[in-house]
Amino acid sequence: MSAIITLSLLAILVLYLGLFKARRALLPVSLLGLVATVVLYGVQWGKTAEPLYSGMVLFDHFAVVFSVVCVILTILVLLLSKDYFDKSSPHVAEYYALLLFSLTGAVLVVSFHNLAMLFIGIEIMSVALYILAGIRKKDFASNEAALKYFLMGAYSTGFLLFGIALLYGASGSFDLAAIKEYVVSNPQGISPLFYAGILLLIVSLAFKLGAAPFHFWTPDVYDGSPILITIFMATVVKTAAIAGFLRLFYFCFIPLQDFWVPVLLVMTIITLFVGNLTAIVQQSVKRMLAYSSISHAGYLLFAIVAIGATSANSVLFYVTAYSLSTIIGFGSLILVKRATGSEHFEAFNGLAKKNPYLSLAIAIAMLSLAGIPLTAGFVGKFMMFSGVLADYQVLLVVLAVINAAMGIFYYFRVIVAMYFKPLDRDAIVVSGPYRVVFFLAALITLLLGVYPAWLTGLI
Amino acid sequence: MIDLIWLIPLLPLVGFLLNGLGRNVLSKPLVGLLGSGVVLASFLLSCGVFAEVYTARQAGEPAVFIQSVFEWIAAGSLEVSLSFLVDPLSAIMLLIVTGIGFLIHVYSIGYMKHDAGFAKFFAFLNLFVFFMLVLVLGSNYAVMFIGWEGVGLCSYLLIGFWFKNKEFASAGKKAFVMNRIGDLSFLIAVFLIFNTFGTLEFTGVFPQAAGMAMGDTTLLLVTLLLFVAATGKSAQIPLFTWLPDAMAGPTPVSALIHAATMVTAGIYMIARSNILFTLSPVTLQIVAAIGICTALLAAAIAITQNDIKKVLAYSTVSQLGYMFLGLGVGAFTGAFFHVITHAFFKALLFLGAGSVIHAMGDEQDMRHMGGLKKHLPITYVTMLVATIAIAGIPPLSGFFSKDEILAHAFSANKLLWVLGFVGALFTAFYMFRLLSLTFFGKFRGTTEQADHLHESPASMTVPLIILAVLSAVGGLLNVPSALGGGQALANFLSPVFADSAAVTGPFHLDHSTEYVLMAVSAVGAIVMAVVAYRQYAVKGTVPKADDAPRGVLAKLSYHKFYVDELYDTLVVRPLNALSVFFYRIVDRAGIDGLVNGLGKRVGESAQGIRLLQNGNVGSYIFMMVIAAVLILAFGVFNG
Amino acid sequence: MESELLSTPQDFVPILIQLIVAAGFGVGTIIITHLIGPKVRTENKLGAFESGVEVIGNARQPFSIKYFIVAILFVIFDIEVIFMYPWAVNFREFGLSGLIEMFVFMGLLLLGFIYIIKRKALEWD
Repeated sequence: MSAIITLSLLAILVLYLGLFKARRALLPVSLLGLVATVVLYGVQWGKTAEPLYSGMVLFDHFAVVFSVVCVILTILVLLLSKDYFDKSSPHVAEYYALLLFSLTGAVLVVSFHNLAMLFIGIEIMSVALYILAGIRKKDFASNEAALKYFLMGAYSTGFLLFGIALLYGASGSFDLAAIKEYVVSNPQGISPLFYAGILLLIVSLAFKLGAAPFHFWTPDVYDGSPILITIFMATVVKTAAIAGFLRLFYFCFIPLQDFWVPVLLVMTIITLFVGNLTAIVQQSVKRMLAYSSISHAGYLLFAIVAIGATSANSVLFYVTAYSLSTIIGFGSLILVKRATGSEHFEAFNGLAKKNPYLSLAIAIAMLSLAGIPLTAGFVGKFMMFSGVLADYQVLLVVLAVINAAMGIFYYFRVIVAMYFKPLDRDAIVVSGPYRVVFFLAALITLLLGVYPAWLTGLI
Repeated sequence: MIDLIWLIPLLPLVGFLLNGLGRNVLSKPLVGLLGSGVVLASFLLSCGVFAEVYTARQAGEPAVFIQSVFEWIAAGSLEVSLSFLVDPLSAIMLLIVTGIGFLIHVYSIGYMKHDAGFAKFFAFLNLFVFFMLVLVLGSNYAVMFIGWEGVGLCSYLLIGFWFKNKEFASAGKKAFVMNRIGDLSFLIAVFLIFNTFGTLEFTGVFPQAAGMAMGDTTLLLVTLLLFVAATGKSAQIPLFTWLPDAMAGPTPVSALIHAATMVTAGIYMIARSNILFTLSPVTLQIVAAIGICTALLAAAIAITQNDIKKVLAYSTVSQLGYMFLGLGVGAFTGAFFHVITHAFFKALLFLGAGSVIHAMGDEQDMRHMGGLKKHLPITYVTMLVATIAIAGIPPLSGFFSKDEILAHAFSANKLLWVLGFVGALFTAFYMFRLLSLTFFGKFRGTTEQADHLHESPASMTVPLIILAVLSAVGGLLNVPSALGGGQALANFLSPVFADSAAVTGPFHLDHSTEYVLMAVSAVGAIVMAVVAYRQYAVKGTVPKADDAPRGVLAKLSYHKFYVDELYDTLVVRPLNALSVFFYRIVDRAGIDGLVNGLGKRVGESAQGIRLLQNGNVGSYIFMMVIAAVLILAFGVFNG
Repeated sequence: MESELLSTPQDFVPILIQLIVAAGFGVGTIIITHLIGPKVRTENKLGAFESGVEVIGNARQPFSIKYFIVAILFVIFDIEVIFMYPWAVNFREFGLSGLIEMFVFMGLLLLGFIYIIKRKALEWD
């Protein structure tokens, strides 16, 4: 809990720093605060967790691990934002503060123990993002993204709220433990309202996760938002959404598996195909990554389709691998776009000659996203697939493997462009923080690929 | 020595890193030395390991050594460790990979001397050797899969090595995609194996499998999937078309990857999993059928090709078909024996062809060669040895290995033998056609080329000579008992195939029958060799130009039976259409609605954009609502 | 709580009927007026209705965002006050900790208020 308080106060502090023109202090203070948050979580690790504040939040291992992942990803994003927003907007402090608020929401989403908290967490996370997506006030695409995201997000909030209301109507409580108790103790007499509530929750959580057929906002919003915000949405928000999804369903709805698994199964398959097939034909790397993030949402849903004790670990691993690679992918896109003004595949042509290390990092990220062995992405996919297979969903695995093969096609286009398409170009200047982030992300991707046991035993 | 197994793959990896990172710093001689040196060191270590395995076998032990490097994945019941397995099978593969690999590295020093990407080439070659060794040494399917993927990647990189040529780059892509189909199948097989046996370790899977019933459905599925994987990597019907295109790569690559080592990975994998296949007779029949069909089809194509490397490529596909035929009829030793001898003579043929191409100034069309005998004496003699060997004329190596496969085929099904025999006739014909067109008759190239003709440098000819010696005497490894031999290889490998042998019982064929079979195939091969020699060397016939009219059969063969075009129509276009459909209808029309993003239509009037904008989000939300209603309807229907 | 838990779907039937009647009345009247109403189209009828005053210019004019900002800020502090009513009713039961919590709540809002003022969000020009 101290971590959430720290985060909220940190955000307010940053806001005031901006007010008093302490621009240079913004980034160090934010980073320091985030590191402190990680430390606070570390202190909490290993203690038996009790629901806090009348059962509102529960900091069990699941919550702590996913919170730490979110915080660390935010640290990486913040590192990349050095001198990114200084150039485009005078309101840098607001940018940092909103990111931190959004992070606070994400942390709530992964540690809720009460549906009210889930709702508040999702709203805090999303409202901050609606603004962030449009933070480039003068940019038409950014405005469009913000408006679209807001309208559709508001819509999905309706579903969420209605779903929660129906669950409350049936079980008489917002508390996860009480809802679970209701499900377990009335195996026969579960109200139809409850079922409808589950379905509505699936709709709204799938929306936040960006899973088909509720993915429509993803490509446009990812494409239109400033790249850094896109990174944040594609990593932290996705992590929080899938963790919250899993937490709710693992905690409460396992006994009703037979009812909701078929729905998710169909959604997963649609998500995979929509994401991959559309990504194949993209010409813009940014849009390709956006569509590929949809397909990754599909892979993440595997863990919920085959829900069980190992799901949390699989999700943790997958989401870590995916987020690190995504940070490299979008982060390098910032640099490439700054240098060439284009987001197309051609903009990467001949990069390997002039920026060998940058290209290597991108190549590692793409290989990891494609799920090639010796990268974290491979282990993540492996865990997901074997989890589903253990559940005897053979069809799903076959379809998924076909999709993985499709994925390789478009990820390799980037590698091919970098290494095999010669072009005379100037070397891109990679500033210090970018180097650090890319190096760390690539290193962790490889390390986890070779020695996954570091992460698999945590939850 | 056994303790040092981990060093064998590590050394090429180190070579890769050094050459790769220092490619702009290191001088060419140093790169060559480093690249070949690490492989030589691996080879020496492999020799040591082999010696220990051999001693153990002489003492009558099964000679299986496992070395665990570290625990790799431990999640739930899934435990995968990075560990290496050395037994007679992998010991021999080690020798082939590192031995021939070393020779080809040495050869490349001469061949690639003038190439700008010299260091990159050696780095890739080292990386390939590393992955191939991982594949061979892996003690479980997961490690094997890493090697399997890795060699595919290296093959892709090396085929497209001269990527500035668009055609070459797309050949690389084709190889990669075709291989991916196989890899996919491998991956599913691995999952299925884990699901069935609860482990991926060979030592855990095979004993359990040996206890299963003949014709078990799971085994059928697993073996079929593994076989599809093998058809991808080892270029069998229907996934063989990438291999001929792969000849776009530098010739040493063709020799190492696409003749001697990587393409035999499929055979190695099946030989390794032999017990699974033995217990699944249906799969074995399919393997044999696909094998013989590939052997015949590829041989029939090879007869009319004019590009020297293309002939050899189709010949490789055809010989691989023979190996699969051997596997399919249960001649695991025979198939593996053919892997060994084929590695010798096919590497030799490719390197010889490389030497010719080098001398001709990158000319690959045999119609412009001829009469090279006196200019390239060493190349000629070594190529002659290899040609006799591959044609199956005694007493060179190809005769023994092919004969063993055919003998097994005969006892399994007479028709298979007949077809195999016909294929062997084709082989003798097209190989002597190649030899005659290249080395006999008059020189048909330009005068410029004629002035430039020269024998290759020693770094290229020495490997040729060594391989020629091996091709000549390689057959002695496993002389059949009918000829008074000791079947040394069969005895050496017997523990690997012990489970299968226990199921099928000992193989037996009358000595007299065997003599007849040998005589028939030997005489047939010699006759075809003479026919080809008379046609192309004595009469001096030159194949027709590309657009000259041909008979129906010749046309079919010349155009490779239109397999590529067939795939294009059946697979590539529908898939493209599907993806365009998704893009146009689902994404563009359905999702983006009437607007196609702001960026593209900034020029349109503000009024238009505003109206279309509304439609856009509206349609998004409309679709969300439809989906939500469908889901709720499902709930009503289901609950 | 217990009796609520036992509520069955049947208990909601009256609400359902109410919903159907309400929706049915709305939809029904719209359809029926369309069917039986006389169709007269005049310029006045098709024009926008502005309380009988003649229309001047286009309604889609930009207006100052400040109206909007002030309205939103008002709502925030409005809700703050709404929170205080139930709190005040239960003030005795909450004791000291309740007081502290309310101060924290108001403190946070005060921080926001200071921020607004410093950002000059309430200044009209």
